[in-house]
Amino acid sequence: MTNPILENIRRSLTRTPHPTPSLRPDILKPRLPESMDSEVERFLSEVNKLSGKAEKLAQANIHSALQSLVTEQNIRKATVWNTPRLNQLQISTYLSSLGIELISPNSDKHTLAQCHLGITEADYLLPETGTIAIHSSAEKPRAVSLAPRVHLAIVHPEMLRADMHQVFAEAKDSHYLVFITGPSRTADIELTVTLGVHGPKNLYVWMVDK
Amino acid sequence: MTQSPTYIGFEEYSEHVPPSIPAAVQQATGRFVSGRAARVAELPQFEQLRQSGSDIRQHTIENMDMYLAQLEEQVKSAGGHVHWAETATDANRIVLQIAKENNVKNVVKSKSMATEEIGLNHFLEKENIQVIETDLGEYIIQLAGTGPSHIIVPAVHLKKEEVAAIFSEKLDMDAPADPIELARIAREILREKFLTAEMGISGGNFLIAETGTLVMVTNEGNGRMCTTMPDLHVAVVGIDKIIPDWESLTVFLKLLARSATGQKLSTYTQFITGPRREEGEFGPKEFHLVLLDNGRSKILQDSVGRDVLKCIRCGACANVCPVYKNVGGFAYGSFISGPIGAILTPQMNGTHNARELPYASTLCGACADVCPVKIPIPTILRHLRRRVAEGDAFALPTIPVPIRATANLASLALAQHWIYRFGALILPKVMSIFKRNGWIPSAPYPLNRWTKSRPLPPFTSHFRRWWKTARPTQGKESTQ
Repeated sequence: MTNPILENIRRSLTRTPHPTPSLRPDILKPRLPESMDSEVERFLSEVNKLSGKAEKLAQANIHSALQSLVTEQNIRKATVWNTPRLNQLQISTYLSSLGIELISPNSDKHTLAQCHLGITEADYLLPETGTIAIHSSAEKPRAVSLAPRVHLAIVHPEMLRADMHQVFAEAKDSHYLVFITGPSRTADIELTVTLGVHGPKNLYVWMVDK
Repeated sequence: MTQSPTYIGFEEYSEHVPPSIPAAVQQATGRFVSGRAARVAELPQFEQLRQSGSDIRQHTIENMDMYLAQLEEQVKSAGGHVHWAETATDANRIVLQIAKENNVKNVVKSKSMATEEIGLNHFLEKENIQVIETDLGEYIIQLAGTGPSHIIVPAVHLKKEEVAAIFSEKLDMDAPADPIELARIAREILREKFLTAEMGISGGNFLIAETGTLVMVTNEGNGRMCTTMPDLHVAVVGIDKIIPDWESLTVFLKLLARSATGQKLSTYTQFITGPRREEGEFGPKEFHLVLLDNGRSKILQDSVGRDVLKCIRCGACANVCPVYKNVGGFAYGSFISGPIGAILTPQMNGTHNARELPYASTLCGACADVCPVKIPIPTILRHLRRRVAEGDAFALPTIPVPIRATANLASLALAQHWIYRFGALILPKVMSIFKRNGWIPSAPYPLNRWTKSRPLPPFTSHFRRWWKTARPTQGKESTQ
């Protein structure tokens, strides 16, 4: 089947029907990683610069940190990714014990949108920009990091990649990936920076060693 | 000369710009310019990135047919649908068809230049489909019924009191003049729209040929909402948004936000390849990609003008442009303003409709200095000025006859020294007729274009006479 747009492009570029492909110009080399400690520090400090709340946390302190978070943010309903690590850290069980109503991350959109807090992991972290990158699946629904007004990502240092190049090499065959760089923001009214206009207003990132 | 309804009268529009617009626009551009400068300063390889961005875009344009064919194949194999739209009308009809097939009554939209270009909202509304813009700035101007004044912050010309008045009137409420509170109100209203809309429409920042991936960049999260909540996602994207592969994308993502807003990355960057795979993950059941030509493949014929298609829509050129900063976005009469609009609109709509736009520039070159993909904007402006004045392989001359006659006369006079001397002799005498208190407050056409905004000083001497009398020493030296 001929495609008139492609035909027009070929005519405009005066191309033969089956041209020899020219090589794509070379791309700059990716950034090299520094020591693990300084990569972790850089990542946390970039998230904090963007008004996120990022910190290193010992596994033993997760529950007490969760307790302060739900009090501080007045959380009554939460949704948590159904992943082995979050289950192993007993996030849902602990939140239930605090009297928080747990909503399945696979609920319908109206129910899920009622949640105040969404808890996820991440698949990759970029230290230079303070970015958390996540895929999507039934266990890791994409709305959990989007619909609630508070998003908590529990991450670990092995998720760090030095540059986008490494992330893309691993992620490009996936059907969905999102980079999250700080909380939702706008400056559309008189250039006043306002957080949480559609996505989460508060972004917490806890770096917990495995 | 009668003008068609699609004619863009930049001069006339710019005379009617309310004084509040340049002030607001300059506040925004000032912030973006200093933000960009800070990001560029901390990235030593920024110039290399620009070169690389330019080279890849050039390469992509030269091989656009191949990459688009690859893209189509990949989107289809990922379970998505691909539609080709030769014209704006074709694109609108395709989107309407998809909407009708799926019984769509409510659409949520994330900001998109391509849908502005084809007038999609208006088209769908005529068919009784409600379309809601969900970017806060776009939502405000949709309620207000005006156009965008800036590519990144479209409602920047409105004060918070004006936004509050618009909300109060259109949403039947008592909205306070507080940006944070206004954003909260919009969040609440739009949240309901995201959850009930049957279809999300978006544009796209890049299309990756390698895997058939749509890349979308937003800050508010409305783009994610539009592609996460409704069961149907339609992306309308210009064919020029194609890039070869993910490796190339590293360059453009590093350039885009830094050049646009002075961020290192925008808050949300989505990489979407086809529809959702599993029931519980959210995301659309169906993914449609509408590839929009609308004159782009024709622009490719012109080896000078086609560099405009390298653009990644960051708006950096507008932020530094002295003309844009004084007239704002409306005066350009098109979905795209600033220097990039001045070189795109005349090529897309024809110089007969947009002959004034190539002149909406001082040719200072600031735009070319900041362009992340090194589009030679001043060169293309001059190229299009020649098209307007003299015509070329793509269009006949479109400049008004009196101006062309004056220009021809001037070029004759400058070529024949006796005419020039004669003119220099009589011009001060002619001008003295219009002199009032040592100035010429209003000159006859075509010089009235000058005196409309400021008085013209009268000629008081001749350059040749001055050269002989005022600089005798240098004059002698040069003859030795």
